[in-house]
Amino acid sequence: MTAFLLCGGSAFSATRVYQKPSDFVKSALGALPPTQALKLTAAQQNAVSRLLGKRYKTTTIRYWTRNGKTAYILEEIGKVEYITTGISVKGGRIEGMRVLVYRETHGMEVARTAFTKQFNGVSVKSDSQLSRNPRNIAGATLSVRALTKLARLALYLETLK
Amino acid sequence: MSFEPTKRRRVARHWHRWLGLFAAVPLLWLSVTGLLLNHIVDLGLNDKRVSAEWILKRYHQLPEGKPVAFMANERLVAGWDGALYLDGKFLEGFEGELVGAVGVKDKLVIATKESVGVFDGSDAMAIELDELSLPALPLQGVAVAENVLLVKSDSGWSSFSDDFLLFEEWNDSAEAVTFNLLNDEELGDLESAITSSRSMPLDRVIGDAHSGKLFGWPGWLITDLTALGAIILTILGLRLFPKRKS
Repeated sequence: MTAFLLCGGSAFSATRVYQKPSDFVKSALGALPPTQALKLTAAQQNAVSRLLGKRYKTTTIRYWTRNGKTAYILEEIGKVEYITTGISVKGGRIEGMRVLVYRETHGMEVARTAFTKQFNGVSVKSDSQLSRNPRNIAGATLSVRALTKLARLALYLETLK
Repeated sequence: MSFEPTKRRRVARHWHRWLGLFAAVPLLWLSVTGLLLNHIVDLGLNDKRVSAEWILKRYHQLPEGKPVAFMANERLVAGWDGALYLDGKFLEGFEGELVGAVGVKDKLVIATKESVGVFDGSDAMAIELDELSLPALPLQGVAVAENVLLVKSDSGWSSFSDDFLLFEEWNDSAEAVTFNLLNDEELGDLESAITSSRSMPLDRVIGDAHSGKLFGWPGWLITDLTALGAIILTILGLRLFPKRKS
């Protein structure tokens, strides 16, 4: 029985690419402007750690700006894998969010437009919380939290530019 | 209430008994893992991790094939089955097929076919470059010339600015760094470092054990058959429930 069970194929490759990062930036900004980057100071890294509950994966974060709008490609772990997300921000509010690459085996419901459009128009309050939190999705709680953190991160980065 | 003829009851009891016997272990498995899943936080298991070798193999956490390795800035950068290791330590959040590693000034640059990671002296990733900031993919090699990072792709060599955000065509000649084959001792050290540094969250393992996914398609099949068995046992049990006419 053990040999029978162990000979089975794996069911754990779950990476779904919804959109290439370059396609997201082009669709959000209308073109692909030159890459710019924010090099986070130690204080800014601490602020980011407070938002995420841990350090961000890189200390320099790239962004693209055109016509007053900024696009970020940000990543955060859902449960064990990174979720790559594109977020566009204008005037201190999120204008659009899109899950670009989802690698977890569960919780991919957060990639649906019906979920991500809840972030449209959201800003950040003085206590660093979002002006409107998204509804939770049963079975995708950690992924919902990850996207919420990324929304807060994008809005925080917008204040640093 | 109507009563079953004796022969039909005998057949139903026969099936109920044998089906119950074969379904007992899988049902017990499903019940125990289900209970654990429902009370995983109460039992304090949600933060636990598993590092058993066969579990890591099931989740493709142990590499297959041969590793490739590069020495750069006196650091050993290894790539093995899509995972990357720095001095034998797993590089969290950065993966891909390793094509090279070079030191550019005080930075360590690791290139895979799809992305480039720039690490500072504290081993933190300073910046990750993907298709948005790289020439045509896949990358084929990396090199350093005049303290400048060079990457090779189908479009030839490109050189990067000091902040790695801009690149332009490189017309001079360049030679990509070549990988070092590890000797048996280095390979053994890398293998043990990888095995000891990898683990999976216990709640995910229990969840996948409950659904049968942990064991691939045979696990799914057994879970489905057990569920069917439980349905049939219920129907047979209900049919046997009425008392026999005395």
